[in-house]
Amino acid sequence: MEFQSIRVPSPEAAGPVGDKGNKRQALDELFSLTYEELRRLASCVRRGDPSCTMNPTALVNEAWIKLANSPCFAHTSPLHFKRIAARAMRQVLVEAARRRHADKRGGAEGVTIEFNDAIEPTASWGHDVLALDRALEGLARIQPRQALMVESRFFGGFDIPETAALLEVSEATVLRDWRAAKAWLAHELRRAGS
Amino acid sequence: MDSDRWERIQALFHDAVDLPPSEQRSFLEKACGGDESLMVDVAAMLAEEARGDSFLDRGMAQVANQLLDPDVPAAPAFGELGPYRIVGVLGEGGMGVVYLAEREDLGIRVAIKLMRDAWLSPARRERFTSEQRMLAQLNHPSIARLYDADTLANGTPFFVMEFVEGVPLTEYCNRHQCSIERRLQLFRAVCEAVQYAHSHAVIHRDLKPSNILVKEDGSIRLLDFGIAKQVESLDLATDETMTGLRLMTLAYAAPEQIRGSRVGIQSDVYSLGMILYELMAGGPPFDLSSLSTSQAEAVLLEQEPAKPSTKARQSSADGESSSPALGKAAWADLDVLCLTAMHKDMARRYRSVEALIRDIDHYLQGAPLEARLDSARYRIRKFVTRNQRAVAVTVATVAIAVGLVIFFTVRLAKARNDALAEAARTQRIQRFTLDLFKGGDEAAGPSEELRVVTLLDRGVQEAQLLSGEPGAQAELFETLGGIYQKLGKYDRAASLLLSALGERKKLGADNRSVAETLVLLSLLRADQAKYDDAEQFARQGLEMSQRHLPPNHPQVAKATFALGKVLEDRGRYDQAIQVLDQAAKLQSAPRALPADLAATLSELANTNFYAGHYDVSETLNQRVLGMQRQIYGERHPLVADTLINLGAIQFQLGHYPESERFNRQALDIVQSWYGKDHPETADTMTILGQSLTYQQRFEEAAALLKQSRAILEHTYGPVHPRVAYALNELGNVAIRQGKLDDAEAYFRQTMDIYRSVYGDTHYQVGIAQSNLGGIYVERKDYVRAEQFFRDALKTYSSTLAGDHSSVAISRIRLGTALLGQRRFAEAQQESRAGYETLTKKASPTVKWLQTARKDLVAEYDALHQPEEAAKFRDMAAADSKNAEFAGKK
Repeated sequence: MEFQSIRVPSPEAAGPVGDKGNKRQALDELFSLTYEELRRLASCVRRGDPSCTMNPTALVNEAWIKLANSPCFAHTSPLHFKRIAARAMRQVLVEAARRRHADKRGGAEGVTIEFNDAIEPTASWGHDVLALDRALEGLARIQPRQALMVESRFFGGFDIPETAALLEVSEATVLRDWRAAKAWLAHELRRAGS
Repeated sequence: MDSDRWERIQALFHDAVDLPPSEQRSFLEKACGGDESLMVDVAAMLAEEARGDSFLDRGMAQVANQLLDPDVPAAPAFGELGPYRIVGVLGEGGMGVVYLAEREDLGIRVAIKLMRDAWLSPARRERFTSEQRMLAQLNHPSIARLYDADTLANGTPFFVMEFVEGVPLTEYCNRHQCSIERRLQLFRAVCEAVQYAHSHAVIHRDLKPSNILVKEDGSIRLLDFGIAKQVESLDLATDETMTGLRLMTLAYAAPEQIRGSRVGIQSDVYSLGMILYELMAGGPPFDLSSLSTSQAEAVLLEQEPAKPSTKARQSSADGESSSPALGKAAWADLDVLCLTAMHKDMARRYRSVEALIRDIDHYLQGAPLEARLDSARYRIRKFVTRNQRAVAVTVATVAIAVGLVIFFTVRLAKARNDALAEAARTQRIQRFTLDLFKGGDEAAGPSEELRVVTLLDRGVQEAQLLSGEPGAQAELFETLGGIYQKLGKYDRAASLLLSALGERKKLGADNRSVAETLVLLSLLRADQAKYDDAEQFARQGLEMSQRHLPPNHPQVAKATFALGKVLEDRGRYDQAIQVLDQAAKLQSAPRALPADLAATLSELANTNFYAGHYDVSETLNQRVLGMQRQIYGERHPLVADTLINLGAIQFQLGHYPESERFNRQALDIVQSWYGKDHPETADTMTILGQSLTYQQRFEEAAALLKQSRAILEHTYGPVHPRVAYALNELGNVAIRQGKLDDAEAYFRQTMDIYRSVYGDTHYQVGIAQSNLGGIYVERKDYVRAEQFFRDALKTYSSTLAGDHSSVAISRIRLGTALLGQRRFAEAQQESRAGYETLTKKASPTVKWLQTARKDLVAEYDALHQPEEAAKFRDMAAADSKNAEFAGKK
C-alpha cells in the first residue's frame, strides 16, 4: 500500500493565525474568564460568606491582570478592556437567563412566562436581566451613549470617573444621565414584569 | 419612542425630580401640556426614583449568583459515565465540578472532572479539552494522572483522573516532624515534577502546598491545573474564607503574576521558592491573614522577606514551629537557596527549576551553591550604584587625579554590569524558549501549539524591543524562528529568519554571522519544499563560511551538512552523498564533536537508503549505532531511531523477520524511555506492526496497531493526524486479510480526519482517496476506483508538484483502474507517465513500479506495440525473479 515515509510525518500547523483570529480568540478567552469568575463569585455568595468582597470591579480587574500581557491586548487600554469585559458579562448573564427560561419551558425560547417574585426570586432576576437587555437595546437605538453607560456601570462595575472617561463627558453629566436612565429602566422592567 | 421624546422625558424628569413630592404632580400637569402619556412616563420614572431599590441598584453580583446555576449539577446517572459510578462531590470551581467516583470492575477510586455549562462558549469547551490533552502528555509518577476522557450523551465533556488521597506537603512535614534533609528530598521530588512539566511546555502557574499532596507511602503528587483549582474549593468549604483563600493563592504568586506581567517558568520557580521557605522556616514569610487583597499585594511586591533562618528562630521562640535545628553555616546556605528561588527580580532568581534542583543537590552534598557566585556579583554592583554619588563627592574634595581613577572604575563596572545583564537577558529568553521544547519536539510541540505560539509571540515582541542591538536581536529572531520551524509554522519562521538576516547584514553584508543565518534559512526553505531557494542559500552560506573561517571550523562542516541535507530533500541523492561525505570528513577532525559526526553519518545513511544503496546505508547505520551507544548509552531514543532505520533497510530488502527484530529492540527502548502509553511508543508499535503485516501475521499486527491507535486517541483525541496514520495502517492490514469492508471503513475514517484537520485539498486527503480507490480495484469495481483516483489527483493538483511521487503513484493506480475497464490507450498514458516520474525517485523494486510494468505490458500488448511491451515484459520478468525482494515503498 501507499506510505509517505517510514517515520510518521510531523503534524503540520493548522494554518497561520491572523490578527483577527488572535483577537477573536482573546475575546473568547475574556468571555470564558469572565464566566468563570462569575461562577466563583456565585459559589462564594451562595455560602453566605460575609467576607466575600468580590464585585464586578474586582472581576474585571482580575481578568485584566490575566490578559493584559497577551499580545492581542497589547494595544488595548485598561479602560477599553473593561468596556469589553462589561459586554462579555452582559452576554454571560443574558445567556444564562435565557437558558434558565428555556429549561423551564422545555426548550422553548423567548416566550414570556409568568413569575411570582415571592415564590421564585431567581426566575424573577433572570426575567429582569432579559428585560434589562431588551430595554438596553431599545435605549441604544435612541441614545447609544446612555446605553453604553448603563452597560458599563451595571455589568462592568465602572465608577463615575471611569464612566466619564469612557464616554468623554463630565462626571456631572454621567450622574445626571445615570439617574434618568436608571429610573427609566426600572420603569421598563416593572412594565415587562407585570 | 424616538430620541426627541426621550430628551423631553429626561428634561422633565430632571426638572421635577428635585422638587418636593407634593409639587411634582402639579409641575408635570403644567409642563406636559395635556400630553397624557408623556406625563405617565415621567411620573412612573419619578416613582421609581423615589422607591430607590431598583434592580440596577442591587448590583450585578447577586444577580449573577442566582442566575448561574447555584447548585452543583446533578451527578450523571449510573451508566452515563461508562464504567464509573459517582459516589460524591470533591469540589467545584469556575470550569466544572469534580466528582469522586468508583470503577467497580477494577475496584479503584478516581476523580472525574465534568465541565459545567458546556453550551456557553465553544472556546471554553476547547479550553477544557486542551487542558485534558495537556494532562495526557504529562506522564510522570509525581503528577496526578489522566486515565480517560469522553463526553456524555448531551455533549458535555469530562475526564477521569487519578484520585489522590494525601496530605498537603507542609502539613505532612509538620505532622511527621520531618528533618531538613527529608523536607528537601520531598521538595526536590516536587521540583522534578515541575521541571518535567516545563519540559513539556506546561507551566503550572498555581503551585502551592495544597496542590502538592504527600501520600501515605511518602510519595508526592502534584495536582494539576484545572483539577487543582477544584480541590482548592474543597479546602475552602471546610475552613478558609474566600478572602483567605484568595490571599493564600496570592501568597505563592510571583510578583510578575501579581503585576500581570509576563509569566514564565520562572514564576513557577518563585512559587517553589515560597514553598521551600515555608518548609525550612516552619511558616510563610509574610503574614497576610489580616490584610485586604491590595494590602497583601503591596506586601508581596515590596516587602523583603526575613531570612528563613531568622524566621525559623522567631517561630521556634513562639513555639509554633516544628522545623528542626541546624548549624549556622547550613542555615546560611539555605537562606541563599530560598531567597534566590523566591527573588522578586526575575533576573536574579534561579533561571530554571533545573538550576534550583542542582543547588539543592549541592546543599545535600555539602558543595558550594551556584547561587552564591551570582549574589556576590550582584552585591558588588549594588554597592557601586548605591554609593556612586557619595564616591563622586568625596573625589571632588580630595584630589582630581584620584577622582578620575575612581570615577573611571565606577563607569567601567557599570558598563560591564549592563553588558552582563543584557547577556543574561538574551540567554534567559533563549533558555526559556528552548527549555519548553526539551524532550521531544514533536510530542511536546504541536499539540500544545496554541499555548506555545502565544509564548513565542511574546518572545517576538520582546525581541523587537532590542532594536539598536542588531546582533542580539538577530540571535533572538533565529532562536524563535527555529522553534516556529519545529512547529511547522514555516511562514512565521521565514519572516523571522529573514529579519535576522537583515539585522546581521546591518553589521556587514559578508561575514560569518551572515553565513550562519543563510544556512538556517536554507534548511527552512528545504522544509518549505522551496528547493531552489534552499540550495541557493546553502551554497551562499557555505561559500561565505569557507571564506571567513578556517577549513576545519565546525561552522563550515555545519554549512556543508546543510547543503547535503537540502540536496537530499530535493532528491539529488548522488550529489547529496558527495557533499555529506565531505561534511563527515570535516567532522572527523580531532576537535569536532562525535555527536555532530553521528548526525551527519545518519543523514548520509538515509540518503543512501533513499537512493537504494541499502548495503552502504546498513554499514553506515551500524557505525552510527556504535557511536550513539558510546555517546548516549545503550538505551537512548536516538539509538532506537537508528535501530528503526536498520529495520527499514531489512524491510526494504524483504527480510521481514530481521526487520521485526530491530523494531522490537527499538520498541523496548522507546517504551522504557517514554513509558508504555506515550505517542512515541505508539509510533514504534505502528512500525513494528508493519513488519508483522508483511510476515502475514495479521492478527498480531492488528493488535499492535489497535493498541497504538488507542494510545494516540487517548493523547490527541480521536480527530488527529497521528490517529489517522494508525488508522491507515489498520486499513492496510485489513486489505491484506481480504477484509475489504473493514479496510474501507478505516480509510474513510482516515480521510475524514485529514479533511477536518487539514481541509479538503491537503495531500493526505488525496492519499486516503487513493487508498479507497485501491479497495475498489480489489473488488474489481474499476469504475468507482477510477473516480477515487481522479479525486485524489484533483486533490493533489492544488498542493503538490506534478512530479511528486504521490501523484505518480496515483497515476499508476489510475492506469490499473482504466486497464480494468479495457480503456487501453488512456490506461497506457497514465501508467507510463506515473512510471516515468516514479522511476526517477524510487528504487526499481518499489511495488508501484512493478505494478506499472505489469500493467504496461498488458496495455502495450492490447495496443499492438510489441517493442514497448517486450521492454517492460523483460523488466517484469526480473521483478518476479526478485519477488522475495518485494518492497513496500
